[in-house]
Amino acid sequence: MSQFRIEFTFDGKTIPAIIGQSVGAALLATNQRSLRKTRFNKNKRGIFCGIGVCFDCLVVVDGVTNQRACIIEAKPGMKVQTQDGSNA
Amino acid sequence: MKNPDAIVIGAGVVGACTALALSNAGLKVLVIDRGPVASGTTGAGEGNILVSDKEPSAELTLAIRSRDAWFEIDTDIGGGFELEAKGGVVVSRSTKGISDLKKLASLQKVNGVETIELDESSLQEAEPFISKDISYGVLYPGDAQCQPMLAAAQIIRAVRKRGGSFIQGENVVKINSVSGSIIGLTTDKNTYSTPVVINATGTWAGEVAKLANSFLPILPRRGFILVTSPAPKIIYHKVYDADYVANVASGEADLQSSAVVEGTASGTILIGASRERVGFKNDLNIAILRQLARQAISLFPVLSTIQLLRAYRGFRPYAPDHLPVIGEDENISGLWHAAGHEGAGIGLAPATGELITAQITGATPFMDPAPFSPKRFKGGEYVAI
Amino acid sequence: MHNVVVVGGGPAGLSAALAAAAAGAPVLLIDSNSRLGGQYWRNSSDNFDDQYEQHFDLETGLLLINAVKARKEIEVWSEAQIWSATNNEGKFTLRIIYQGKEKIVNTANIILCTGAYDRTLPFPGWDIPGVMTPGGVQSLLKGHGVLAGKRVVVAGTGPFLLPVAAGVIKAGGEVVSLLEANKSRRWLTSFNVILENLGKLKEAFYYIKTISEGKVRAKFGYAVITAHAGSNGELESVDIAKIDRNFNVKKLKNIKCDVAAIGWGFTADTSLAGSLGCKQVVAKDESVIVWVDNDQQTSISGIFAAGEITGIGGSELSMAEGVIAGIAAAKFVGCKVEVLKAHRKRRAKRQRFANALIKAYPVKSGWQSWLNDQTTVCRCEEVSLGDLKYSVEELGATDSRTAKLFTRCGMGLCQGRICGRSVVDLVANELKVLPTDTDRISAVNRPIITPIPLGVLAQGE
Repeated sequence: MSQFRIEFTFDGKTIPAIIGQSVGAALLATNQRSLRKTRFNKNKRGIFCGIGVCFDCLVVVDGVTNQRACIIEAKPGMKVQTQDGSNA
Repeated sequence: MKNPDAIVIGAGVVGACTALALSNAGLKVLVIDRGPVASGTTGAGEGNILVSDKEPSAELTLAIRSRDAWFEIDTDIGGGFELEAKGGVVVSRSTKGISDLKKLASLQKVNGVETIELDESSLQEAEPFISKDISYGVLYPGDAQCQPMLAAAQIIRAVRKRGGSFIQGENVVKINSVSGSIIGLTTDKNTYSTPVVINATGTWAGEVAKLANSFLPILPRRGFILVTSPAPKIIYHKVYDADYVANVASGEADLQSSAVVEGTASGTILIGASRERVGFKNDLNIAILRQLARQAISLFPVLSTIQLLRAYRGFRPYAPDHLPVIGEDENISGLWHAAGHEGAGIGLAPATGELITAQITGATPFMDPAPFSPKRFKGGEYVAI
Repeated sequence: MHNVVVVGGGPAGLSAALAAAAAGAPVLLIDSNSRLGGQYWRNSSDNFDDQYEQHFDLETGLLLINAVKARKEIEVWSEAQIWSATNNEGKFTLRIIYQGKEKIVNTANIILCTGAYDRTLPFPGWDIPGVMTPGGVQSLLKGHGVLAGKRVVVAGTGPFLLPVAAGVIKAGGEVVSLLEANKSRRWLTSFNVILENLGKLKEAFYYIKTISEGKVRAKFGYAVITAHAGSNGELESVDIAKIDRNFNVKKLKNIKCDVAAIGWGFTADTSLAGSLGCKQVVAKDESVIVWVDNDQQTSISGIFAAGEITGIGGSELSMAEGVIAGIAAAKFVGCKVEVLKAHRKRRAKRQRFANALIKAYPVKSGWQSWLNDQTTVCRCEEVSLGDLKYSVEELGATDSRTAKLFTRCGMGLCQGRICGRSVVDLVANELKVLPTDTDRISAVNRPIITPIPLGVLAQGE
């Protein structure tokens, strides 16, 4: 893995990442397993299939909801937030 | 159930509501469908229960009663179909559109529909995400919405609990009569005796009428609906462009489409509405999907980043004069038709059931059902009543 | 101007693209990932030196990937997502989201190599953060250099569990439990197949060596049947059960872990094939796959398919099929080339191995006994088994499609990719019937293949 490091924020917290890593992977590396709450039962969800098929790892990226953390590449200055149901 | 008091053919929303009304009036009802509940147009519906989209007419009277009847049914059977009194907002951008809308709203108001005019700032308050270049709208608190498949299923469930029956997977092959009176019907599996048959088969009502050697000019009008991914709350009412009303009444064969958008209880946003006369053509018309998306974004620009998740099509049943058919067959007594509601089937179903039931039991119907009578299609020719 | 369009950049797609290009046909290779290699050769950077630890035969992958990149006749679109595909009497239109915009590709020849993803079974607690698929754990390692957790349980069925467990150990994690639901003696029925595929044995031993060095012993006839959350709502422990040959529970015990990687073989992703009208059939493992003839051509003339979507069988079968599909597709567009006997022999050998795999690692219906009415079945829409039962018992659903319409099962973002197969089995079980092929095939019908922003849809032609 290229060692060039970047940073993005998750709910305001600074998260380190290596270029090429997904947002989900970088968050998991900091032990952040929960990424959102479901819309009906408010249950926590995180990465499940890890390859973009299950749509469980949804986060809000720069204001846009329903982004899959496991396939969105972390970019410098990206603003990522937990998704609450369908909302930012 | 071999000798029911009535057989309803069709377990869509109209058939279900009719069966419920008959059951509640004390009749033993059998519902037959060649497929599952709501496997026809009902399964492709948005769930609209509107009073806003009809000019003062027999149909508006039907719609007003039907809307209230939905809430009564909800209480009667214990809910379970996401009925919501969410209200509708109709908007227009053009000067002519606005003036037509004003006229329509004041006529509707006189006829019992609650309307509230919205100027620019109250429109923004009612719909914070609506496009900033729309400056006039009318709010209809009476408009409501439900989940149509669940509605039909819950109603059939209630009918069964009240002594009725539902048979799935039998195809009616003949509707039997003797000396101009119904004696029963035959399916591909059984024969049933009954003095009353109700044809509630929607888009296929014309074909089913033929099984009784009768005639009903019902044709399909295809429509697509876009369903988005679960989204943040962007749309607070059912919102549509005033053009919608003109399109329903249009006689043109070409594609008609205008913007209709609303949220649902489950968080998705539904986007319609298109109307084409292409028979029962099954393909996915991508150009129409794009057009619907454009129109929706024009009303709510923020929809641009919301994702389309799936799209489906349905076939609305319509009669040449765009009025539903509710009444006894011209030639065969005991054969009743309840079909052709063209995109308003869900909204109008309960009142349809009430009108049919009143006429069968001899009770006083809540309105004169004559405008909807199938007798207006005298022997294959349409005759205005 | 391309003659052949290949969809998917894994073992099958890379092989097909190279074979077609070598035969003289210009190729457009469309792949949804940022890097070629598919799932099997998922990698994280051009600097591969530190990645060999995570792969058994990365060399082959690199060979193919570099060969594809080197060939001028192959144009590659990475991070390209096909959202819609239609068939207008032999002219195929692919609508693709590429670099934020929509691109339309019209072609008369397609090779579908859209691969597969982990098959999952619902069980109580499977939706707790920390429960993942083996593919997910491996993707995080191979593709992103991240170990999903410190104490990992690897369970389910199939040889794929081995490289995942080995990968965790090589990355410094602890595999607290490695559970295979089926008994290893099932392989005895296919002994001759093992003999002709000794390379696969070598591969298995490569992983087993790592695993035993990590002081882990696999347990056969065991499964994870429940996951438990701690007070923070995240995975804390799992219940491991000894199961009988039909997957019914005999006895259980609880183990603490922070990640559970659980997979039950693979499900082919046939959405694109189905959209184009290709005939789909149900395979011996009950997955829905695309039917192909001896030249890898589907029921639609001009559309070929190779790899996992024609039947789950592993990377080598995928490559063998890809080569044949590439040659046959090139021939279809007019190149003077023939599929050789050697190609077909190689494919046949790999196919026998794939068949043996299916026999050795079945998923038995006893898994349904692990669920209770509160168990989530559809993750996206939070539909429980109880909700599904209500739709059958009270609302009268008599097939999985109607149950889906009543409950929203399979109508969420993943459009039934995760729950579809299980829902068919659960509904059929409720109705006390066997699932039909129609049930299974209709569960994978998706005309909109991937979500597309309305703004992108609106701007397209």
